[in-house]
Amino acid sequence: MDKKILEEGIEQIDAILKEEGISRRDAMKMFGLGGAAMMMGSGVVTEAKASSSAKGKILIVGGGLSGIAAASLLMRSLDEPNITIIEPNEKSVSYQPGQTLVGGGVWEDSDTEYMTADFMPDGVMWIKEKAVEFDPDNNVVKTSGGQSISYDFMIIAAGLKLDFAQIEGLGITDSITSRGDDSAVKDVIGKNGICSIYFANGATNTWKLMQEFIEKAKNGQKVQGVFTHPSTPIKCGGAPKKIMYLTDARLREADARDNAELTFYPNGGKMFGVPEYHEAIVKQFEARDMKWNYNHNLIGVDPQAKIATFYKHWLEKGEYDDILEEYSMVARGEKVEVPYDFLHITPPMKAAEEIANSPIGSDQGWVPVVKETMQHVKYPNVFALGDIAAVPMGKTGGSARKQYKVVVENLISVMEGKELTAEYGGYTVCPLITSLSTVMLAEFDWSGKPTPSFPLDPTQERWIWWLLKVYALKPMTQYGMLPGRA
Amino acid sequence: MNKAITIFFGTIVVIALSGCGDDDSSKQEVKNYKYTTAEVYEKMCAKCHGEKGEGVKKEKGPALNDQEVYELKMGITDIKMGGIGGHSSGTEHEIMEHNMQKIIEKGMDYDTDAMAQYIYENFNINK
Repeated sequence: MDKKILEEGIEQIDAILKEEGISRRDAMKMFGLGGAAMMMGSGVVTEAKASSSAKGKILIVGGGLSGIAAASLLMRSLDEPNITIIEPNEKSVSYQPGQTLVGGGVWEDSDTEYMTADFMPDGVMWIKEKAVEFDPDNNVVKTSGGQSISYDFMIIAAGLKLDFAQIEGLGITDSITSRGDDSAVKDVIGKNGICSIYFANGATNTWKLMQEFIEKAKNGQKVQGVFTHPSTPIKCGGAPKKIMYLTDARLREADARDNAELTFYPNGGKMFGVPEYHEAIVKQFEARDMKWNYNHNLIGVDPQAKIATFYKHWLEKGEYDDILEEYSMVARGEKVEVPYDFLHITPPMKAAEEIANSPIGSDQGWVPVVKETMQHVKYPNVFALGDIAAVPMGKTGGSARKQYKVVVENLISVMEGKELTAEYGGYTVCPLITSLSTVMLAEFDWSGKPTPSFPLDPTQERWIWWLLKVYALKPMTQYGMLPGRA
Repeated sequence: MNKAITIFFGTIVVIALSGCGDDDSSKQEVKNYKYTTAEVYEKMCAKCHGEKGEGVKKEKGPALNDQEVYELKMGITDIKMGGIGGHSSGTEHEIMEHNMQKIIEKGMDYDTDAMAQYIYENFNINK
């Protein structure tokens, strides 16, 4: 695609809007009306592979975005598909990437809630139970309802669990998922200034608490906003920062930014693994007077006193290492207490225990796969994708969008007794929301370098990517990816 | 206003088409490394991880010879990317992360998958 055409296009839209006296915000609303319908009808279609006559019973554990997309593509690729999905959640296909926008008051929860029944491909057998026991040596899975389901081939797409229980002082003992039963956390998260966009009701409550926070700042109170990022792999690695950018934008909108201090406390020592994006984000933080303290892992919260406790860690110079020709490093750490008025928690995340502790799991819990083929390292008739797959990076809808096609193609090869040819290259994408009208579209892969799909500088915040995030990505996901078409 | 809508939709169609296709616009560059994987292991890793990946307690270097190839690939990729997930989670291997940067600065950069494969094939005790 020609970079000039795109840039001229964007310039022309801006010029016309100015001429017509229409604000960008109003224009977005107008565009939004037609956008979804347009996307559904566009030619965004992956050519279905020549159909295969391979046979066998395929069991898919998990009916979220990855599981349903894989099922849809399999239904269209096989002459005689025999597919069963185990998924207990009636709303498992809800649009998770929208939770950030709900937390920032841009969308409502109803914009993200979808019924799984509406997206379940025709012909798929849906068992509304949970898979609780795995016996991959005998190709059998047991369900919460006591059924034993046998299979010839299995795809694990069970997602991950949000584990607030790892944080002391919250009184939480059980893990939850992003939508569904949140009774384990709802008395604590979403109240007294503590919030989290990582689960649906949590996102709705984030917006409530954010408004209270802004109100205080508006009334002249000096307030502290604290944003955390844990030590575990997490889904959508950009969201802990996105909600901070949105808080900043809402405070500015209310003309109350000067009274609030916003600080990011990540466990890691940088903003992003890709140096170009890291530098861009640091500049964006500086420009907004958003602060950060690296190497702080949230380990406890006192909801009454409104104090967050972090484990702060660093390296100190040790003995001289004659191999490295440098001083070796020694790890040190201490607890640090931070008072807050508004605390956004990104919880530690893990694979469900029944999978982690089964023969298909691993020490870290995630299902171990050959990262290029997505095939299980021990069981050739098992594949995994989405948040539960043990691949570096990933855990975004964008990576799942690349993975499900690889899984389907390779699974069919296994069924046909052929070599695996499809390879996943680690692609993932983070549409980093940086204000109420801009997004930086950070695309990257295992090369550790930006991999932009468009010939535009990927480190720039752009209005066009905000439009993509707010109007195009949801229809692309719900009507392109879930039906296995894009 | 109609003109704006037309241009906007046109732009989004172009974006959607190019963004969703399976084009290989993101081909990885082929990198030539100065030293072979074996040389890098011998010079940079062996002192702490052992000549055969058995680990060296005194140097606090964990054993690598009991790890599956996927574990090695994950671990080394995370260390080189400076954190799991590509964002701000950090790693459990802070010291190694620091050392990795020093190794790269010394011109001893290496292919992470090739290193994982080398360690597994030459040292793994469970094979």
